[in-house]
Amino acid sequence: MKKQSKTEKIKVKKVSDTKPKTQNPKLKPVELKQLVCLLGDESLVKEYSAAFQEKGIAVQELKNLASLKTSAKKITAAFELTLDSTEQKKKNLEALNEVLPDHVPIISTSITETILSQSHQSKHKHRFIGIAAFPTLLSNSLIELAPSIHTSKEIADTVKALFDSIKKETAMVQDGVGMVMPRILCQIINEALFTVQNDVATPKEIDDAMKYGTNYPHGPIAWGEMIGFANVVAVLDALYHSHHEERYKVAPVLRQMAIAGVFWKVKD
Amino acid sequence: MALSIGIVGAGTMGAGIAHIAALNKCTVSLYDINEEVIRRSVERINFEMKRSVDKNKISDDDMKQALTRIKKRTNLNDLDTCDIIIEAVLEDIRVKKDLFKKLDQIAHHTAILATNTSSLSVTSIASATKKPERVVGMHFFNPVHLMKLVEVVKGARTSPETITQTIAIAEKLGKKTIVTKDTPGFVVNRVARPFYTEALKILSENVTTVEEIDRIVKKSGGFKMGPFELMDMIGNDVNFSVTESMFQQFFHDPRFQPSQIQQQLVEAGMLGKKTKQGFYNYEEK
Repeated sequence: MKKQSKTEKIKVKKVSDTKPKTQNPKLKPVELKQLVCLLGDESLVKEYSAAFQEKGIAVQELKNLASLKTSAKKITAAFELTLDSTEQKKKNLEALNEVLPDHVPIISTSITETILSQSHQSKHKHRFIGIAAFPTLLSNSLIELAPSIHTSKEIADTVKALFDSIKKETAMVQDGVGMVMPRILCQIINEALFTVQNDVATPKEIDDAMKYGTNYPHGPIAWGEMIGFANVVAVLDALYHSHHEERYKVAPVLRQMAIAGVFWKVKD
Repeated sequence: MALSIGIVGAGTMGAGIAHIAALNKCTVSLYDINEEVIRRSVERINFEMKRSVDKNKISDDDMKQALTRIKKRTNLNDLDTCDIIIEAVLEDIRVKKDLFKKLDQIAHHTAILATNTSSLSVTSIASATKKPERVVGMHFFNPVHLMKLVEVVKGARTSPETITQTIAIAEKLGKKTIVTKDTPGFVVNRVARPFYTEALKILSENVTTVEEIDRIVKKSGGFKMGPFELMDMIGNDVNFSVTESMFQQFFHDPRFQPSQIQQQLVEAGMLGKKTKQGFYNYEEK
């Protein structure tokens, strides 16, 4: 019984072997000079841009979609790093999908919406792959990726190789809202704010408690502030909607902070 | 005059508290009902202190001095002159209440009575005494001589003076303190709950494997240990019962829902490192 479920697990994790139909065999991506194009949330674009450039990979930060057409043929990988599933993200993905040759991977943040859902209307579903691009995580050594059931092996391998080249390990996880690290982290931050909400201790004490009582790398509230409370709420709301489970309800004070953009002052 | 600390229960936590108290120049009365337990406890303190000497964290002389400050006690009445008595017996509300009732009669009238409980109500324990304003929670973390934090828990009737004095005592023992209200899990066990429960939920949805979740949490999140390694180290029985107890105490709030996967490990006796099997296999090849 246990063995069976294990083989299932592996099956689900495997990415599709279907080759893109129109790929020109002479145009192997490895032979091209790498040019990574980035668009989406400004701070994430900056972080990723710096990480690639530091390792000598050329980067194009796209300010608008018009500039995309001129460089389209030189681009070897495209990142859409808008965390929340907005109309703008949709437009960005459509534009990338239309302009870029179909062997070029489109790597899109898939924390609040699965990559399957983001790509299911595209003719080139195989080239989309999800990424847990989340503030504060890029400085660490591993990148979480989520292929959809349509993602081709070539695309997954190309993206893995791209991260290998900037010395980042990768982990392929199932295409689900929150992925792994953002999901656990946002739940910890949420509980920290329920603890503030219930006036159990002050925010500073809660952060100190987690740093000195369990050796967390940051206090959860300070960490939430670095991530941006609005981003934390976006992830939790997405989990709430995808699961219909009360365990993902957002602490009211966290939602207020997400709106106000500043920390809710409690008595010190 | 040196601060005089009574410790009731010479298990892992009691020994850890005695260790740091003695090193920080307090007089320690280490009590246990069982003399053999105290003897082993002092042996353990000796062993841990030697390691600190080897690492040049303390001197040989510090160690010798510290060990002379620990008095072995098998009569609870001998704790009558202590400035504070810290209880570290098993997590059973009836056992603790009985003990506090006795301590209330034995202890000096200005002494603080502290409990090291991690999951029980300090307010409830205090209700067994005639002076609940002197009763406080002092939640140390394992291993006590390495973990910097003490949660000072304010029961419903704990006085502000007791809190102030307890903070001063914890600082004398070289600890950082935070003050928390007496709510389930206090701060650390509560805020850390999703680290385990959400990892288990992700596993139950087959998002990826135990090994991969641990690798991601360490290498993408920067945590020292992954949730499954940590649960195996704590013991799945202990971790499961803490989650279950918090789930009860929060009146079945789904945020604290225990996991069937972990329950099954407990039922199978796969408790983690201590049984050589848990989420991982620790059998020697």
